[in-house]
Amino acid sequence: MNPPETNDPLDALLRAQDTHVEDGGFTTRVLAALPRRRPWLRPTLLLGATVIVAMLAAWWLPWENLFPLGSPALLLLSPKALLPWLLLIAAVSSLVTGAMAVFRWED
Amino acid sequence: MSFTDADLIARVLSCEDHHAFGELVRRYQSPVRAFLTRMTRGDSHLANDLAQETFLKAWHKLGTYRGGARFSAWLFGIAYNELRMAGRRRKELALEDMVEPPPEPEGPAAASGSQLRLDLAEALKALSADERAAVILCGQNGLSHEEAAQVLDCPLGTVKTNILRGKEKLRRRLSSAYKNYESA
Repeated sequence: MNPPETNDPLDALLRAQDTHVEDGGFTTRVLAALPRRRPWLRPTLLLGATVIVAMLAAWWLPWENLFPLGSPALLLLSPKALLPWLLLIAAVSSLVTGAMAVFRWED
Repeated sequence: MSFTDADLIARVLSCEDHHAFGELVRRYQSPVRAFLTRMTRGDSHLANDLAQETFLKAWHKLGTYRGGARFSAWLFGIAYNELRMAGRRRKELALEDMVEPPPEPEGPAAASGSQLRLDLAEALKALSADERAAVILCGQNGLSHEEAAQVLDCPLGTVKTNILRGKEKLRRRLSSAYKNYESA
């Protein structure tokens, strides 16, 4: 909410004051004084965390259950047969998502 | 394509974009520097230093900016804080009547618009720091009394009182200088 407009000549005089200040290199000086950017930091952290999670998932994944003997068990959608596949899909998709986020960041 | 302040702020927060912040500085450097120049009674070197500190602080604190308030009001708040801190650091800073206010004009004369504006700038220097800040923020920068109270970190009633007192002093000063200031 702005102050109410009045007919007071003093208000008009205050508003009419020319207060514009030319930039004159001010913005450049401010930008030069900003802390240096580290554009590699966040993508590196993101990718590193994703790789670690994917490696942990691969470590814990029950590989022997991915292709159980009598693979028709998969067809029967038994939870025991599907769980390792779900874990694998989750690990791969987190890796892909992390990589995509990094590439988008760099854009 | 022109970005809104909110777009630029989001860009700075998400990827520390210096270009986006540069655009914000370009948009607001003039009112912030003009405010600080008036508050330091025309010391443009000091005002520029304080303005630079203001924008550097804004860069670091941008995450605390809540979109509810106007960005300009948020910046004025930082600027006023910098001014107060500088006043504490440097006793010689003319925040409170350290510099002699300009002398009263000798007698009424006919007012011309440009002379009147110059004299208003001089008359502003004669106000106390609190009165000057309130008058400049509301009268020249279009802040509401509530926004000015937030910027100056004082009660709303104090802002209103300071504006009334400040304007009364200005009016008196201009009336004594110019018989026809109200119609100039």
